[in-house]
Order: sequence, then C-alpha cells, then structure tokens
Amino acid sequence: MTAVPADRPTDQDIDPRPRLTRLVLTTTGLVVTRLLIIGVVLLAWELASGTLVPKFWVSSPSAIFARLVQWIADGSLWRHLEATLLAMGVGYVIGCLIGVATGLALGFMPFVQRILMPYLAGLYALPKIALAPLFIILFGIDIESKIALVAITVFFMLLYNTLDGVRDVDGDLVEALELMGATRREIGLKLLIPATLPWIFTGMRISVRYALTAAILGEVIGANRGIGYLIEASAGQYNTTGVYAGVLVLVICCVTLTELLTRAETSTRRGGP
Amino acid sequence: MPPRDAVMVADAPARDPRAAGVPKIELVGASKTFYVRGQEVTALQPVDLTVGDQEFVALVGPSGCGKSTTLNLVAGLLRPSRGEVLYDGVPVTALNRRVGYITQKDTLLPWRTAAANIGVALELQSRAVPRAEAQERVAQLIDLVGLRGFENHYPAELSGGMRKRVALARTLIYEPECLLMDEPFGALDAQLKLLMQDQLQQLVHQRRMTVLFVTHDLGEAIALADRVIVFSARPGRIRAVRDVALPRPRDVFKMRFTEGFGRLHEELWDELKDEVAKGVDV
Ligand SMILES: Nc1ncnc2c1ncn2[C@@H]1O[C@H](COP(=O)(O)OP(=O)(O)OP(=O)(O)O)[C@@H](O)[C@H]1O
Ligand SMILES: [Mg+2]
Repeated sequence: MTAVPADRPTDQDIDPRPRLTRLVLTTTGLVVTRLLIIGVVLLAWELASGTLVPKFWVSSPSAIFARLVQWIADGSLWRHLEATLLAMGVGYVIGCLIGVATGLALGFMPFVQRILMPYLAGLYALPKIALAPLFIILFGIDIESKIALVAITVFFMLLYNTLDGVRDVDGDLVEALELMGATRREIGLKLLIPATLPWIFTGMRISVRYALTAAILGEVIGANRGIGYLIEASAGQYNTTGVYAGVLVLVICCVTLTELLTRAETSTRRGGP
Repeated sequence: MPPRDAVMVADAPARDPRAAGVPKIELVGASKTFYVRGQEVTALQPVDLTVGDQEFVALVGPSGCGKSTTLNLVAGLLRPSRGEVLYDGVPVTALNRRVGYITQKDTLLPWRTAAANIGVALELQSRAVPRAEAQERVAQLIDLVGLRGFENHYPAELSGGMRKRVALARTLIYEPECLLMDEPFGALDAQLKLLMQDQLQQLVHQRRMTVLFVTHDLGEAIALADRVIVFSARPGRIRAVRDVALPRPRDVFKMRFTEGFGRLHEELWDELKDEVAKGVDV
C-alpha cells in the first residue's frame, strides 16, 4: 500500500480493491473482523457440543467460562498462576546469572573451556525435560524442582549465547588493546563484556519463552500446584472442561508475555546506539 | 610497569644508555612463511633492515609484498620464520608494547564514541592519568586530527578516513616512542592527506619519535621519510633503498615541486613500477 499525498482525495477509483476489503483492512475493521471470527467459532463450538460431538470430548465454551469464573472466585486460579510464574521467574533469573557468569568465565579461560566443552555439549544436547523426574527426587514435588528445571534450561541458552559472543570478538581488537598495554582484566572489562552484551540480551530474550515451557512441563510431570498441574490434574480426572480452561489461561499468559517482550524490544532498540 | 612509562620515555632526551648507538629496530635475515591449508605462502624473504633512533623510514611496495607482515614482526604480533627481529637491541619475543601501531584495518571499539575511543589508552592501569587531564588530552588530539564536532559520533557514523584519524589519535595520545604506521593516510583526500602529513612531521620531530611508515604513495614516502625502502613483489625482499637528503623542516605542501624531490621520485618510481607490474600479473 503506498501513501497517498494529502492533497489528493482517496478516490474509489484509485484503490482497485472491493469496498468490503478496504473496510476490513482499517484498524477497527480488523479488530471487528477478528472478534467476529472468534465469535463464530465459539458459537459453532457451543452448538456442536452435545449435539454433533459428545460434550465429554470437547466440553463447551460456556462450561469453560463458568469453570474459569469458579477458579477466579475460589482463588485457585491465582494460587496456580502464582506458582507457575514464580517457578518461571526465579528459575529464569538464576539461569541467566549462572549462565552469563559461566559463559564469561569460560570465555576468559579458553584452556579450561577446551577441557570442559565436551561435557557441556553433552548436557546441552540432552532434552532437559528428561531431568524432571530426577529433580523431583532431588528437590521435591514442590516449586523447587520446577525452578531447577527452568534454571538449567535457561542456563544453557545463556551459556551458549555468551560463549558465542566471546568467540565472535574480533581478535584484532584484542591485539590492539594488548599492544596499548591492557591487562587481561582490562581486556575483559573494556572489550569482551561490552562486545558480548548484545549476545547476552538476545539469549535473555529468547529464553523467556523456554522458561515458561520448562515450568509448565515440570508441573505436568509432577507437581502439587501450577497451571501445568491444573491441566494435568483435570486430564487425570477426564475433566476436559478443566483442561480447556487451563490451556486457555496458558494461552493468555503466552500472549501477554510475547506482547511484553515485543514492547521491551522495541523500546530498547529505540534507546541504544 | 610503572605508570606513564611510555610518556617518560618519549619525553626523555637521552634514552636508555644501554641502547646508545643501538638501532631502534633491526631485522636480521628475518623472513616469514605462512601455512594456509597445507600450502606454504612466503610473505617475506629474508630481510635486513635497520631503523635508527628517531629515524623515519618509509616502506613502499606492491600489494601483498609483506609490508604489513614486517610491521607485525616489529610489533611482536608475529614471529619470524627465520632470522631475528630486534628492538633496542633485544629480540622481540612477546608483544612489543613500546611501539604504537596504527594498523591497516582500523580496530576501533564500535560501542565507544570517537572521543572515548581516543581516550581508551589513558583508562588503562599502565597509562592511567587523572580524568581531567585525560579529557584535555583527548580534546587536543581531536583538534590535531581535525575531528572537532565528531567527538560523540560512533565509528559506524564516521567515514573511513575519519576512522583512520581516530585510530591515529588513539595511538598518539599515549605518546609512544616509536610509531608503526600502516597506510594511515590512504583513505584521506589529497588536501587532508597533506595536512595530516604536516602534523605528523611536526609531532614526530617534537616528540623525537622513531617511525616505520608503510604507504602506497611514493610522494608521501619521500616527503616524510629520511629513508625510503622499496620492496619487491611477493615474496617481498628489499629491492632498493634511497636516503632522502632533503633538508628539514620540510614543506610538505610545496616540496613536490622542487627539483630534488622530482629526481628522487623518478628514481624510486623506476624501481617500483616493475614490481607493481609483477604484482598485478600474480
Ligand atoms: N595471517 C596470514 N595468514 C596467511 N597468509 C598471510 C597472512 N598475513 C599475510 N599473509 C600473506 O602474506 C603476504 C603479504 O601480506 P601483507 O599483509 O604483509 O602484504 P602488504 O604488503 O601489507 O599488502 P597491502 O599493501 O595490500 O596491504 C600476502 O600474500 C598474504 O596473502
Ligand atoms: Mg598491508
């Protein structure tokens, strides 16, 4: 779509698309259209449920909504949401801190890095979810085991991003600073860390989504609280309404998180050089 | 290393007495062979080269003949495959921190402004100075290289020639006793180049620096140097050496039109042109 100069009225002849298409493509048009689609889907779902398809399999929008209201009213929604977000947040922070610190330390000590890399590569390749049962044994059924699972997932992402960042530093810059008389410490502070920061931020951004996934998976595998537990527990009782309601909460969480991340990204991009 | 070591050395009229009479830089049969994917590339055939204290020596030669390699040897970034490289009579076996090296490729820190790049050496422990003095010296050097108004620009926002000047200022600020310069003015326009040559000439005289200067520009070599060395095409060896007996201080703006300059230029060009032709064939 090209911008039309202000002094020329947008004539119908200029835009060859049908009137309806143009109407839909305005901002409000888009919102209304999207609402219409979801409305139609929900309505069809409601009507089909119990008539075309047994209610046992698909539940129904009204039942799901009622369940959500009930969860909100009795406070269980907040309790589970809190557990999931707490596991995710604490694990994320721990994973970021240790991942960046280890990445920088190994980056500064290429010798140690060479020795340890095969072990780290092996652990990195391992799907972390396989560790969930072990963590439950080690840290218990409560939130600690989920924190550990999130932390180890995030740790490896940050470790590898930081290492890639250090590896990407131009050796000629290192030499230039060395010739000026910089010590190893100064090369770290003035060159390696600032050069690696963008890589660290990228790692932090990407791993937010993985942190949520790890928290939910941990809860599905074994927990006594959390959205993942809610879904798993409902499924265990063949309570499809509960499963759908749990999934819906999860969808809302993901959308909110993605939206927040996008905002944070655009604002940082506008800020820095 | 005591603080401001380099400054004290540069300011002292008489240097290390042990070094008296010993050349600043000496290459004795130094050669360099690289191994690239199992293939030998001889960058430099055995070269004998001596740069006296406070001497200005220019290296010219076709592309790929080993000029940068020679500077890297003196800076201690490379070891000679055979022969020896001496600095103040001592073999260069580690990074040579007595020299200031302005490399062919600029190595500015992209996240620092021009001014912050120029001042970086003064933030290092080994050369630390009080903040106020550092700021003042940065401002002086920004003037010196003609970058006023661009202090707060990032390297990506500067032209190639401007970045080269930032790199030059960044090295000059810590007043090394010896400069290795690899085509520092190559990216500048003709007028600015002359201005910078003039500034450099004055500064080298004032600070009694020794300079090993690589350039493609024969006129620049003659205008600045006490001695011009012509390298052959790769693998490099010394093809010709000429002393530039023109009196100092020189007028870099007008000396091109003097007879002595013209004769020397012609002589050196005769040596260089065959090599340049060879370089192109390869
Ligand atoms: N690190 C390296 N590894 C392999 N070969 C190299 C390396 N550095 C230089 N060479 C080779 O050595 C030769 C001389 O390179 P050098 O950079 O010294 O040339 P130069 O005279 O500075 O050329 P120019 O004027 O183009 O800068 C070249 O043929 C190059 O291919
Ligand atoms: Mg070169």
